[in-house]
Amino acid sequence: MDQQILNAIFIGSIYALFAVGYTLVFGVLDILNLAHSAVFMLGAAITYSLVVNRGQSFWIACILGIAASAVMGLVIEHVCLRPLRRRKAPPIAALISTIGLALIIVAAVEQGQPGTFFSWLWVDGANSVAFPAGTIPNPTWHVGDLTLEASKVAIIPISIILMLVLGYVIRYTQVGRGLRAVAENPRAARLMGLDVDRMISLTLVISSALGGLAGILFGVALGDISPYIGRDNVEVRGLAVIVLGGMGSIPGAVVGGYLLGMIEVLALVVLGSNARGGVAFAALFLMLVLRPQGLFGAQLRERI
Amino acid sequence: MKRLHLVTWLAAAVFVAACGSTGGGSSNTSSYAGKTIKLGAILSITGAGGVYGPQSRDGANLAVKQINSSGGVNGAQIALTINDDASDKAQSAQVAQKLIQEEQDLALLGPTLSNSAVAVHPLAETLKTPILAVSTTGINIVPNCNAPSTVPCKYVFRDSLGEETAIPDNIKSYAADSHPSTGVLLVAQDDKFSSDGGTIVQNTVGQYNIQLLKTIKFNKAEADLSPYVTQAVQLKPDVIFITSLGGIPAKIMTEARKQGWTGQFLGGNGFNTATVSKQAADAGKGARSASAWYLGNNFASNADFVTAYRAEYNKDPDQFAAQGYAAIKILADAAKRANLTFSDLAGDRDKQRAAMESVNIQTPLGPFQFTSAHDVKQTVWVIAMDGVGGFTLVHQINPS
Repeated sequence: MDQQILNAIFIGSIYALFAVGYTLVFGVLDILNLAHSAVFMLGAAITYSLVVNRGQSFWIACILGIAASAVMGLVIEHVCLRPLRRRKAPPIAALISTIGLALIIVAAVEQGQPGTFFSWLWVDGANSVAFPAGTIPNPTWHVGDLTLEASKVAIIPISIILMLVLGYVIRYTQVGRGLRAVAENPRAARLMGLDVDRMISLTLVISSALGGLAGILFGVALGDISPYIGRDNVEVRGLAVIVLGGMGSIPGAVVGGYLLGMIEVLALVVLGSNARGGVAFAALFLMLVLRPQGLFGAQLRERI
Repeated sequence: MKRLHLVTWLAAAVFVAACGSTGGGSSNTSSYAGKTIKLGAILSITGAGGVYGPQSRDGANLAVKQINSSGGVNGAQIALTINDDASDKAQSAQVAQKLIQEEQDLALLGPTLSNSAVAVHPLAETLKTPILAVSTTGINIVPNCNAPSTVPCKYVFRDSLGEETAIPDNIKSYAADSHPSTGVLLVAQDDKFSSDGGTIVQNTVGQYNIQLLKTIKFNKAEADLSPYVTQAVQLKPDVIFITSLGGIPAKIMTEARKQGWTGQFLGGNGFNTATVSKQAADAGKGARSASAWYLGNNFASNADFVTAYRAEYNKDPDQFAAQGYAAIKILADAAKRANLTFSDLAGDRDKQRAAMESVNIQTPLGPFQFTSAHDVKQTVWVIAMDGVGGFTLVHQINPS
């Protein structure tokens, strides 16, 4: 059981980090950015390609991977969101356009033929790859019955520190106040002289950088990088997390992430492996019925 | 995923509606000079089966090249197209439909995955086109491709060793060597190949006094397998059975070894490629499976194949390459004896089918014939991963 709780904390950290980016965009824009899972995958894919195909050190590759994810945030804003916002399209239009972009990103990575940047994908037909042993120092410790792997243990402080920093920025800095103003009422924010478009771009950059980082940590810790890791592992779970925590709430996304990790593992241990996915979504459903605003969701307003 | 499925099914439906049937007149000729024999391979070059499909492709292409450069089939050249189904069942069926109706291929190879075969094989049967499975090892591939119907499919053949033979042979030989008493089965419940293999393990272990402590099911797309592996390891079994394919076996092995488990891994056809052995590396050392083919066999039809493959691709072939290669040899041998007309496609397909039933040739798999159920009858090689991307031979089991 102890090992299972550790497993839950590891995966919960990744869910939380992913969901924080998800919820940030929702908090500011009232839009679900469904391309977030593709950015998650892209962070991992680019980092891996830089390490394996271009011989970069892991740390440089990591920084470039996060930077590329952040740039993808700008692409999402400029391609999927801003043109629709200009035309006052309903939120569903933005939702659909982000789904479209997600499919395009995944398809682009899938095209990794020999000789191209993403060629790693089909080397030896290995469609799911792991960082080569030795790329990142990854000692494993055995404490009692517990197995602790450095790459997994490291996720916990990284996630918590990043989420605390983000919380601080939003609550106590000029930029954070700007973001909150846009979230509260974009029109009023604009009338007060805030550059709303810039604030939204910034939101997407931060959100996507976090998403990319979550993808890299996922790839490192689970040894599984493929075009489908976002779609298969975090897309829907990320939604569950932000509903559990409260749509738009950052502390909610953090707690929700760990909670979902726990629920999944408990379901596996108590009810058997068949139940893992189902129980998580039963919890989600219960939350929607009993407390629709989620654990940390204010009734309205006061988001992010 | 659901979105994608819906779209592909819709596209398939439109496609089915748009397609017509084929037919033609008849004429008779014994030499095929100047003609082309069109074959289509449906393989998983990308997606979960991408670990196996490219090897089948390379093996098949090598055989085509050899046959064409040595005069072809009674003078006819073979034109083989390789079609990726992205390991997706719906896409696989779509591709098959296109090859049969639009491309008017004489016969098909594939698909790579049993999961896709349940869609493709009944289609080929309905459209009366011979199809030769080159890597599908699940239950109900031949002869009853329309299971649960038990009517044998006339047009479906396979040259790959079924898991119903391979898994019990593997368990039997390990039980005789080491007398394990407990086991845990890890199975991807949403994959036909894996769940078929799981059923076979469950039905077999009792015969060798191995108590199956637990069957742990997971979904094939799940990346985080550690909770499942933890559950298995904590039961301290002598054996962990893994019936999955693609990257999953290597991930389970790596995770279990990290968690300090030192027992024996036994698996199925999913182990039998160098890619999986390489991915598992040290964690996989000693993991056993039963294979249709072994690299080190030195009878002429295999030694020649291995030499030619190495010269062509600068790497070692694996079981899938051998089966892909054998498939083309089988289809070519049948075509040679089928007295094809090249004008009556439906008639030619039927002649090809009939000729396939009496194939008797030497292949890298050994002397090759089909059983009356269109299945393969051959020697089984029990192999173990060597920890560096290859395999060593443990046992040879002759057909009973």
